[in-house]
Amino acid sequence: MSNEFEPTITAFLCNWCTFTAADLAGTSRLAYPANVKIIRMMCSGMVDPKYVLKAFLEGTDGVFIGGCWPGDCHYINGNMKARRRVALLHEVLGRFGVDRDRLWLRWVAASEGNMFAETVEEMTARLRELGPCVMKGEKVA
Amino acid sequence: MLELTINGQSVLVQEGKTVLEAAQELNIEIPTLCHNQALEPYGGCRLCVVEVTKRGRKSLATSCTLKASAGLVVETDTERVLRSRRMTLELLLARCPEVPVIRTLARQHGVTTTRFGLENEQCILCGQCVRMCKERMGVSAIGMVNRGAQRVVSPPFEEFSEVCRSCGACATVCPTGCIDIQTFSQHRSEPLPSEWNEGLRARSAIYIPFEQAIPKVPVIDRDACVHLNTGACAICSEGCVADAIDFDQTDEEVEVNVGSIIVATGFDALDPTPMEPYGYGRYPNVMTNLEFERLSNATGPTSGKLLLRDDKDRYKFTRPPQSVAILHCIGSRDVNYHEYCSRTCCMYALKYAHLLKDKCGHETEVYNFYIDMRCFGKGYEEFLKRVQAEGVRMIRGKASLVTDEALDEDEEGKLVVVAEDTLTAQILRVPVEMVVLCTAMEPRSDAESVARTFGISVGGDGFFLEEHPKLEPVSTPTAGVYLAGACQGPKDIPDTVAQAKAAAAEALALSSAGHVTVAPMISSIDPDICIGCQVCVGLCPYTAIEIDARRGVSVVNSALCKGCGSCAGYCPSGAAKVEHFTDKQIFAEIEGLLDCRSDG
Amino acid sequence: MQYTTLNTVDGLNQAIATLLGGLMDHEVVDAVMVPTRQPHGRVVMQSLIADRAGLANIDPFAPVVTTSAAKQVAALTHRPAGRPVAVVLRSCEVRGTIELAKLHQSHLDDLLLIGLDCFGRYENSAYIDLAAGDEHLSTTFLAQATGGGGTTLEGVEITTACQACEYPVPGNVDLRLAVIGADVGKQIWVEALSDKGREALAALGLDTEEGTPEGRSSAIADLTALREAFKKQLFEEFTARTDTMDGLREVLAGCINCYNCRVACPVCYCRECVFVTDTFRHDGEQYLAWAEKRGQLKLPTDTTFYHLTRMVHMSTLCVGCGQCSSACPNDLPIMELFRTVSEQTQHRFAYHPGADPQEAQPLAVFYDEEFNEVTGQTK
Repeated sequence: MSNEFEPTITAFLCNWCTFTAADLAGTSRLAYPANVKIIRMMCSGMVDPKYVLKAFLEGTDGVFIGGCWPGDCHYINGNMKARRRVALLHEVLGRFGVDRDRLWLRWVAASEGNMFAETVEEMTARLRELGPCVMKGEKVA
Repeated sequence: MLELTINGQSVLVQEGKTVLEAAQELNIEIPTLCHNQALEPYGGCRLCVVEVTKRGRKSLATSCTLKASAGLVVETDTERVLRSRRMTLELLLARCPEVPVIRTLARQHGVTTTRFGLENEQCILCGQCVRMCKERMGVSAIGMVNRGAQRVVSPPFEEFSEVCRSCGACATVCPTGCIDIQTFSQHRSEPLPSEWNEGLRARSAIYIPFEQAIPKVPVIDRDACVHLNTGACAICSEGCVADAIDFDQTDEEVEVNVGSIIVATGFDALDPTPMEPYGYGRYPNVMTNLEFERLSNATGPTSGKLLLRDDKDRYKFTRPPQSVAILHCIGSRDVNYHEYCSRTCCMYALKYAHLLKDKCGHETEVYNFYIDMRCFGKGYEEFLKRVQAEGVRMIRGKASLVTDEALDEDEEGKLVVVAEDTLTAQILRVPVEMVVLCTAMEPRSDAESVARTFGISVGGDGFFLEEHPKLEPVSTPTAGVYLAGACQGPKDIPDTVAQAKAAAAEALALSSAGHVTVAPMISSIDPDICIGCQVCVGLCPYTAIEIDARRGVSVVNSALCKGCGSCAGYCPSGAAKVEHFTDKQIFAEIEGLLDCRSDG
Repeated sequence: MQYTTLNTVDGLNQAIATLLGGLMDHEVVDAVMVPTRQPHGRVVMQSLIADRAGLANIDPFAPVVTTSAAKQVAALTHRPAGRPVAVVLRSCEVRGTIELAKLHQSHLDDLLLIGLDCFGRYENSAYIDLAAGDEHLSTTFLAQATGGGGTTLEGVEITTACQACEYPVPGNVDLRLAVIGADVGKQIWVEALSDKGREALAALGLDTEEGTPEGRSSAIADLTALREAFKKQLFEEFTARTDTMDGLREVLAGCINCYNCRVACPVCYCRECVFVTDTFRHDGEQYLAWAEKRGQLKLPTDTTFYHLTRMVHMSTLCVGCGQCSSACPNDLPIMELFRTVSEQTQHRFAYHPGADPQEAQPLAVFYDEEFNEVTGQTK
């Protein structure tokens, strides 16, 4: 068994774009790291900041929120609400030493299976550099 | 009321009316040049003279200025009257021998030559323009200056007028059509282009939009109307016998409660002006498909004759073209503009080719420059064969340039269309007299905001997005909102009608069902937890959240909610939540997924 | 700005009572909500007074804020009576009220907002002790503070929150009882900042002058500078201590999830906090799973979660009143924690709670082009 740190990414993907892109990556037989665990949301605007905090407290090393490109949101502008919420989370988490690079908001369209796979690759690599997240495995939640 | 006699007939008129008006009541024609019912009588042209007998004495008087009086005896066609008129016309003919109106009037009165020295004026000094500007437009930008033989109509000191508003009234009333506002107005102006006629014809500030308008009544262009902008004029309402013009009308906002909406907002035609190589806007005889349609239409500017445009005057048309090029795919199938095919152009391009042959003669040379011929419908392929048989030249190669730079004498004075004929791999230069551009069908410029209003989405091509490309062609993800026609994508009339009927059927099915089926993953707000902060109301893209003022809480309208979760993502107390995506459920997913993390 | 001078030679509270009584007599308002000495104990709390006689016990400048009046204003105006009421509030209470008004919890139309200059407050228990030894504590306190003697009495300091508060003078009010820069034994000023305020003074037939009382601007500037310096140092030191998760857990070590901080907070507006709902009612199974995964789990759990969530929900609205720290039974530095987070989050959104009733709260709005640095992507 390797001693190398394998980061966990919890991904909240919007049903119409990024989740579909993940599907497409699969059907296209694109290989991407298995470090990502996907939770389907109907829209990136549905992602409550509590889910992000919960994921970190439960032990994830990184959180990836995937939404549609601005202007293409299936629900018109859910991605813009997500954008503000992630900016706020960056500030709060950053205040306590949790690197902003652990929480990614990325726009991935339904046809961009490649980009989904690349993003997961990039995030996994980055999290390997950053190491395990300090919020996890705690005796205090 | 007064009684007078004209040409032996008795007529009763109100006091204050002129003899001319009295004659008009009896349908007795008296020629005039300086008379205008909107202006005060002038008596300048002397054409309307009549012989008047008063107290046994006969005299000549201008009927336009002479007020009717009781017992007046008037004769309009005595020898003395006719002699006077003929002399007036001889003088006018000498002054303006080339003016068509004068020549016609003169000929009607038997005057074909003049004994006086010929000049070459256009203006007959009738003063209508001056009086119109002063009396009705309230501006007095132009006036009569100098005396005697030097008298002319001009702005003060023959300088550009500082006050002329370019309303065009003077040019409109001028009987000889000799006024060009550009010679004295500081403002660049042109006659208002008619929108319906694609700018091929002018319209006035009050106009009927188009022949099939319902209701077919005129509208007033607020920006151009002199009365609405300055308080002057208002001649239209004076002249309206039905007294139907009300300048105080304002826009009325009407609220209508409906159960379903069909969005059929149509398309815009691409404006080819930015496409410099095609010369649209530079060459008068490069026109768009819609302009050609209006030209060809029986109610258009030429009553349906296909004619070339005059180089100097955009509203004048001259003679039929001897050669025409029709360019397909202008802005369609083009990475620089629209990647999609506009679907309708190939067929109407063939229609134009056929019309040109039919109306301008079969010797007219017609060239169609195409990439592919898309003749997919019933009878369409057959039409293509027929048009080819009529001698229309089909060139497979999109035209890349329209130029007036001639390389040889065949190209002199023509528009040269340059294209690669991809079947023979040769570059062609085809000189023609008229070029028709088949412009792309685009989404309307306000499509995005219309989409937002109705809670529908716009696809990558900018047209409204149907719910499913195969199975739901007329509905949208928003229940109760349907699509029909070109707003959903380029299509021709049979397809539009089919889609419209389908949308109507869907709308009827919705209303007659009596209930609505909604998706289960929609939001709800627990009224016991909600504290009525109303933030969710502002975040909802579908205005699906209403405020219950009595209970002080927000309530989701389950028929409108699409389950996007914007409200639930914000609500700090968790009052708003989407069914099947509750906090507890998502937490359970997170806990489950992270239970099996691989950390050695 | 208009202002009038109130003679306080016969007593500060009496002068203010006369003013407030006048408002009621002249039917400018039907009632007044003002800090009042309660009939039982030595506490001073907001009371809604409709009877002139009740004004005999008012003590608006008592150096204590038992609980943020912003919540009481919300209670009063949530479903407005439609009748005019005057409310007497300190700066943090006014700012809190304005934020609550944006959330439709308060309605300000029928209110005559009377702001108070504030030199700070003592913790509730400390106040009671001090008040036991001095009948006229308010005047003593103000005289010392305006006289340049600071705000410590008998070794007792005003709360840390107040020492770090850079807004001693409330804005967005109709009238303001101005003491900073005044010789409180002789007179204070009543400033009118709005048409409503000016009309109120006119109704009372009071003579007014234009402008700002002499010496006031510099006194305010001096006090504000003092507070800002304290705040800067406090924040720097505290942030350095808590800029890691371990640091955060250190300061939250004593937290027992009593949620007092949430109840005391004027801008925490939920009727029922999500942390007491079913969502956080875990199965026994889950507790054991956690214990097994981590080896050890502090109970109650969801402590850090609760504070982090509250930061996300309301740090952009925090007005720095410090009621959270005052309410904490285990003396956790909640105020310092939340104010240092707020510095960051309010700066990110360029948001100033309570400054402008028209400024929309950060999570209540969104725009097409903004925060593009969050994704770092351009199409």
